[in-house]
Amino acid sequence: MENVAAHEDWKDCFSELAPGLLLFARQWVRSRADAEDIVQEAFVRFWRRNHAIKNRALLYATVRSIALDLIRRNSRRARREAEAISESEQVAEPQFELVDEAQFALAAAVDRLPHEQREVLVMKVWNELTFAEIASALGISPNTAASRYRYALSALKKMFQPQ
Amino acid sequence: MNDFFEIEHELKKLRPARFSHEFLAQVEQAMADPEISGDKIIRLNRFGLHWIALGVGVAAAALFLVLAQVSTDRGAKQSESIAQNSPAPEPQSTSADQFIPTGATQVVYNTRDEGLHFTDGSEGPMRRLRYQTRETLQWRNAQTGESLRVSYPSEEIVLIPISGQ
Repeated sequence: MENVAAHEDWKDCFSELAPGLLLFARQWVRSRADAEDIVQEAFVRFWRRNHAIKNRALLYATVRSIALDLIRRNSRRARREAEAISESEQVAEPQFELVDEAQFALAAAVDRLPHEQREVLVMKVWNELTFAEIASALGISPNTAASRYRYALSALKKMFQPQ
Repeated sequence: MNDFFEIEHELKKLRPARFSHEFLAQVEQAMADPEISGDKIIRLNRFGLHWIALGVGVAAAALFLVLAQVSTDRGAKQSESIAQNSPAPEPQSTSADQFIPTGATQVVYNTRDEGLHFTDGSEGPMRRLRYQTRETLQWRNAQTGESLRVSYPSEEIVLIPISGQ
């Protein structure tokens, strides 16, 4: 089994995963700096515990766990989560490399999706996780993950359907 | 799913923002430096609510002890004054001025699966379940008929080890 710790060059592995992990972490925190802290924390922890890099569900669960613990700190959970979710819906720093107006509009539409749908969409499209992996990371069933994904695509399609 | 082919294609054309060289250097430093803990962000505050619940429980217990003491003192005085006119006490209430537990209930009103988490010192992931409950304890003084009920909210976090996939 390929291992992060045994990886000859962890930078290759990190470079491949980091953009998607950062995008995933940005679902909960407003700033890019916070997202970087979360991803760094998750990756270092994953590396030190010698987990198999192929266990992506665990890696994303780690990112999610650290992000949620971060936003829960020093405050009541429900209020902080609501704030974090609402904040993430109006992120100031761009999460994508946008090349034209159409992509800008699409990225904005993704930002407007309900949090549960966007979370699954990010894991599926830009991190290429399977529904089984998404389900394992989020603690939901694969069917629920697939449903959320379909709802997200359906909502986006409606927004961009011609006429 | 074919209905969504076009929108999926457009989504995949969106590229997540690249990370900076500074970020890579920061991670490199963290990977190389054993002094930088892998638990920089996570604190034990995830148990904070648990401790609060424990504190509330202890406070409730202390309050119970105070109230029970007051009630038993009063019960003793009353029993002295009415003992002559009262029917014989029930056999099991040999210590007449004691409160006897009569019931304890724990109502779980919310359960939340919080997904997979790491815990300090654990090699593998664990599923974290959070139970929000209301616990009610009841006591009754068989002699005086006085009863005491203490009810308090509590929160319990259960970590279930997940076996390898």
